[in-house]
Amino acid sequence: MAIVPIIQLFGIDVVRFSIDLLTLYSLFLVVSLTLNFEAGYAGIPNFGKVMFVAAGAAAAGSASGQLAALILSINTHGNYNGYIYQLIPQIDAALSNNPGLSIGLLLFGLLVAAVVGAVLGFAASFPAIRLREDYLGMLLLASAQFFQIILSGYEPIIGGTQGIEVPNVFGWFFGDEIGVRDVAVLLVLGVFALLVFLYCEKVVRSPLGRTLRAIRDNEIASRSLGKNDVAIRRKVIVVASAISAMAGALLTFYLGSVGAETWTRVTWTFWIWVIIILGGAANNAGVALGAFSFTLLLKAVDQVKFNFQPFIPVDVNWLEYIMFAALLIAILVVRPDGIMPEKPTLTLPRTALGHIMESNANPAENERDEEESTKWTS
Amino acid sequence: MVEAFVTDTIVYASLFGLMALGLTLTYLTTKVPNFAYGSFVTIGMYTAFGLYRIQKISPYASAPIAFVLGAIASVSMYLGVLRILSKRGSSLVSLMIATLAVDIAFVGIFGIYSDYLTSRYAFIDSKQFYPIPDSFTLFGTAGIVYVAPISLGIVTLAVFLLLTQSKLGVAMRASVENPSLARVVGINVERVYVFAWFLAGGFAAMSGSYYVLWLPGGITGGSNLIVEIFAASVLGGLASIYGSVLGGLIIGASEVLVTKVALDRLGSWVGIYQKGIPLIIMVVTLLVLPKGLTSVDWRRKFVGTYSFVVSGLKLLFHSIVRLARGES
Repeated sequence: MAIVPIIQLFGIDVVRFSIDLLTLYSLFLVVSLTLNFEAGYAGIPNFGKVMFVAAGAAAAGSASGQLAALILSINTHGNYNGYIYQLIPQIDAALSNNPGLSIGLLLFGLLVAAVVGAVLGFAASFPAIRLREDYLGMLLLASAQFFQIILSGYEPIIGGTQGIEVPNVFGWFFGDEIGVRDVAVLLVLGVFALLVFLYCEKVVRSPLGRTLRAIRDNEIASRSLGKNDVAIRRKVIVVASAISAMAGALLTFYLGSVGAETWTRVTWTFWIWVIIILGGAANNAGVALGAFSFTLLLKAVDQVKFNFQPFIPVDVNWLEYIMFAALLIAILVVRPDGIMPEKPTLTLPRTALGHIMESNANPAENERDEEESTKWTS
Repeated sequence: MVEAFVTDTIVYASLFGLMALGLTLTYLTTKVPNFAYGSFVTIGMYTAFGLYRIQKISPYASAPIAFVLGAIASVSMYLGVLRILSKRGSSLVSLMIATLAVDIAFVGIFGIYSDYLTSRYAFIDSKQFYPIPDSFTLFGTAGIVYVAPISLGIVTLAVFLLLTQSKLGVAMRASVENPSLARVVGINVERVYVFAWFLAGGFAAMSGSYYVLWLPGGITGGSNLIVEIFAASVLGGLASIYGSVLGGLIIGASEVLVTKVALDRLGSWVGIYQKGIPLIIMVVTLLVLPKGLTSVDWRRKFVGTYSFVVSGLKLLFHSIVRLARGES
């Protein structure tokens, strides 16, 4: 049985703090990378991000529990949400010694979330490819608002405002202790975030990434070069929405419950935008740095907050709102391109470029180098 | 006693007309959708709530105070955030994010204010409160049913007179139509924009203080209304002040009336989808009439339809006459 060590430093549990920090960081990183993909590279300002994240969370939370009840043949009395408080302990007990089913459920939840996110993204792409930025912003913000009303009002999905519990798919991993479970979650989230980061880097360095920027910067010119801007934009929204829905699903599995109140416009739209602006739009490394600085700031404020709360007559959360709003505006004024501004990507590694230059200078070696250069450019 | 849905429609439609008018004023001048506009409405809500609960001042009496507070908030947002950013050449998206940030900051301020009310006066409902009782009734209906449409009428008329009859109004129109040309003839465009924002924040806060006479308010009370306000403004074309009033009336009325019909026909479960109606109207407007109702030349449409119908009738008449004469 593994036990997470406790290291105290200035009255703060450092290990606990780092685990929480990195967990939140992975989630913020994934969602902000997808928003960067849409807003930074493709020029689609998505002001309704919370809708896609919450949709994935709701779909995964609801579907994985129902599937588990079906597979384990637990009687749901035809009303899954109604008997949720009796069902979830039974499912959890079965899952804690069944790693295969747990992983299967996790993957199933991610898949459902991705499909729901992609469908929503596809729906959102219809206005996104037609409307100007300001109209699109208004429409997506309003849609996200309405979506949350549906989630809180329509009980069959996630039981309305009360929310529902979600099976614990990490229970098999060295027991069910709180600290150990968090490490398991962090591993899964970290791997997921890393994969998403590598994927985004790969895409923006590919010909598609350069096409995206061309469309963003000059739609007419890129169209005249035969680029199908509508199809490419649609692809970006669908992929970005699917990934952010998967991030929502992972947070749901981590929290062990999902409710309409979990997902607020402040956290999953506004803070994600703060991260993008802070780090630098259209720069994945910048966004990663921005997400880290922001999460560190947020968690540090959280730590300080509980020490100072007795001395401040108001809820510190409100001060947090004002502080981050002021931070965002300050960045927009002082450094609008963020910590790491957008850079032109070098399409070929220097060695490959060197080979090409050499082969141009020395035609006798052309044959060997042509193979090399086509390998890099294709 | 009038039926409840009739009074609901009157109040709702008038207040959204008033709110949409203000939003359009801000959009006309800075060309940025102002996501913080809902918070100006909340300023009115909390002014009315605070003054009523502490001093027993009726919201009708506190509406002018709300107007001034909302106007101050709006002007300081314009001068302190948007003008600085646009002078630095920020993109439209940056400006939109900045307005969202201002909205979040306002939510924080309302939170602090409501915490203060709770700790100082022990108002436990200060985060989410029920409507304030109306101070007078007329012919068995609450006073707001008369005050809201009359206020909308007066404000619309005043704005109309301002824009057409006064020099300041002409300067406003000129600054909106062509800022550089307006500067050339010596109009202080910046001052005109500040005045437009002053009015916009004032109208929003005023409608907010009326709103809590009819419906519950709270920290996010105004922010939750932006679906309706934007829908109304988009329906009016985002560029026409009178169009936005019309849009607000249509959105407010259709929200109440469609929900009423749906509740009667389908049952109480449809109630939560009320906000879907303005959203659907907004989507349809953006896809079918992206420039709003006022972009349609109704007179030409009408004349065109009229002449089409008349020529069709003539053709029909002639063919009947021919048939009657036995011609082939």
